[in-house]
Amino acid sequence: MASHAVTLNDAQYEEQRDHRLLGFLFFLISDCIIFSSFIFTYLYLRSAAPVWPPPGVTPADLYMAGVNSIVLFGSGATMHFAMESFKHDKHLRFYWWMMATILLGSMFLGGQAIEYTNLIHENTLWTTSIYGSSFFSLTGLHGFHVFIGVCFLVVVLNQTLSGTYTKTRYFGLTAASLYWHFVDVIWVALFSILYVWR
Amino acid sequence: MAVVEVSHATSEHIHPPPETFVQKYVFSFDHKVIAVQYFITTGLFFVLAGLLAELMRAQLAGPNNHVLSVTMYNQAYSVHGSAMVWLVIIPVLTGAFGNLIMPLQIGARDVAFPWLNMFSFWLFPPAGILLFGSFLLGAPEAGWTEYPPISLQEPAGTSMWCAAIFLVGVSSTITGLNFLVTIIKMRAPGMTWTRMPLFVWATAVTAFLSFIATANLSAALLALFIERTFNVPYYDPSRGGSPVVWQHVFWFYSHPAVYIMVLPAFGIISEIIPTFARRPIFGYKAIAYSSTAIGLMSFMVWAHHMFTSGLAQWVQLPFMILTMAIAVPTGVKIFSWVATLWAGKIRLASPLLFVLGFLSTFTFGGITGIFLASVPADIHEHATYFVVAHLHYVLFGGSIFGIFAGLYYWWPKMTGRMLDERLAKLHFWTMFVSFNATFLPMHWIGLFGMPRRVATYDPVYGGTNLFISISAFVLGASMLIFAYNALRSAKHGELAGPNPWGARTLEWMIPSPPPYYNFDRIPIVLAAPYDYGQPLPYRDVAPEYLAAVPRF
Repeated sequence: MASHAVTLNDAQYEEQRDHRLLGFLFFLISDCIIFSSFIFTYLYLRSAAPVWPPPGVTPADLYMAGVNSIVLFGSGATMHFAMESFKHDKHLRFYWWMMATILLGSMFLGGQAIEYTNLIHENTLWTTSIYGSSFFSLTGLHGFHVFIGVCFLVVVLNQTLSGTYTKTRYFGLTAASLYWHFVDVIWVALFSILYVWR
Repeated sequence: MAVVEVSHATSEHIHPPPETFVQKYVFSFDHKVIAVQYFITTGLFFVLAGLLAELMRAQLAGPNNHVLSVTMYNQAYSVHGSAMVWLVIIPVLTGAFGNLIMPLQIGARDVAFPWLNMFSFWLFPPAGILLFGSFLLGAPEAGWTEYPPISLQEPAGTSMWCAAIFLVGVSSTITGLNFLVTIIKMRAPGMTWTRMPLFVWATAVTAFLSFIATANLSAALLALFIERTFNVPYYDPSRGGSPVVWQHVFWFYSHPAVYIMVLPAFGIISEIIPTFARRPIFGYKAIAYSSTAIGLMSFMVWAHHMFTSGLAQWVQLPFMILTMAIAVPTGVKIFSWVATLWAGKIRLASPLLFVLGFLSTFTFGGITGIFLASVPADIHEHATYFVVAHLHYVLFGGSIFGIFAGLYYWWPKMTGRMLDERLAKLHFWTMFVSFNATFLPMHWIGLFGMPRRVATYDPVYGGTNLFISISAFVLGASMLIFAYNALRSAKHGELAGPNPWGARTLEWMIPSPPPYYNFDRIPIVLAAPYDYGQPLPYRDVAPEYLAAVPRF
């Protein structure tokens, strides 16, 4: 399809971009519904439980998750700067901001891996209690999205370096940045209900 | 007329036509070919799920029959329900009718994302294989709703059920967002929202419901699958989970899904009635906006399926009132359709016959729905055949009658040939009479207390059940008339011409079957399509189509 895209004139490209942008927004809405469904399940189980967290469960550490959140929100900022640099044709800056975003995203995943290891050492598993099942499914689903997001960023960075995107035609970058911000926003909700709300 | 001056950005941008067999008929991007693929696969699944129903009726013909074992009976009704909902009614109304008609009615060359359309179809046959294949590993036994904790204790077939419905869910989500982008962005120049055909309105609302509600079901299925496979507690009450969560999440999807299954049928009805009454549709905006109202309200009534699940009384009351309120926009449609027929110049051709069948049976099912919405009545009727009767009056009497109405109406457009009218009428009357003979008595035996989902029953219900079973066999046999008619039309069907019914929407302004590009030039739309008696409101349509006169 790449060779196909080259043959589009400006009006056709804009029309195609509009379709894809709307379709991508709808996809993000349905993705948001998937999170909402798991969040609803968690809130329901939590409100029905006599004590929270269930007896014998050590909940995840707020401070570590706090540091990790700052890393993720920072990556949202670097993503924004990357897009601004691209729109202003500053390709070197764009490259470094993208590298920073990818690095911060990977750091978030690393932090999550350490967090999981600690919990597993304390025998908080997703099979042992409804705390574990809710915590690991929500953060795991989100972590999976971050992982997909990092892959997405690597792909679009590579495409930019090979000249796929121009100053007026960069839908792939827009999509990647929207996806990244979406994953960020979901984390705000998850961080509040899983860590801050004790 | 600023709208008319929208640039023809894509009108000259045409994909090259496919050349190889695989590109043309297997992995085709063409919405019309994909629609036919959906018709064929859903037809096959309809036969399989229908045979399961006939097996159940064979078992229930006598009070203590041994046609099926108790386990087999449970599997039969669970797979019958799941297959009819997810493999037949939803995909035939969205995937088949939506794909075939919606792009033509908005004057587009294809949907917004043809590749995704193809992908979404090809998720669907594997889902069917998984669902029917689950018999090999022990099919699900807890009904199409698969309530935990029973669904957690079942053999591996239930995991296959989860995977199957998950695939259908992904397919439905993708189709939904694809259609909604298509309808928002690709309407012909001049086709404002209030000039859209009513089938497109219905498809737009359905598409919205599909990608919102279905994602929610996918999440629940994922959780059920994880709980069954990895023993992770979400729904198991003995480990702190709650089976009621499943019911909430499931019905938060499945109530909108009821409207996914009936709104496109409403759309079909709204197209057929003005064509055969030769009158402008009564209350165009009322019908269009009531679809939207139904779509939004469908997210607010889910807990009426759970009145016997131990909800607090203050939760039951608003759901009861909202459920009764959702009958209002549905009633608006029924009255508008009847008002369109009123004093119309009615031609009683086969599509209209099925519409009249729809109107009577669906209205009946809607009224028993009001009974069930009332908490005290529901507590008595919930676990009885009354619910079975109600469900089949809306899903068979509503959706399936609507589907056949649409098939008889658009068959000439799809294939280029007419179906035989006499066989069609024979099909209608056999189906209509045997349908009512099958499901009407279920109301009484339900009110007398015959429980649903049980393989045996008290001998006092024996005579009625034998009558129901015989009627159900006739109902199954009536489908053979349609199959024969469809096969016969391929060779002996009269050539249809572009517009055999004298209809006014855009799909009739091109040859039958439509050419690969649908429209030589994208037409310009000047008004809503239902003003019978006025000249056709299109520019850039060849004169021979504008002059077409109805043959019936």
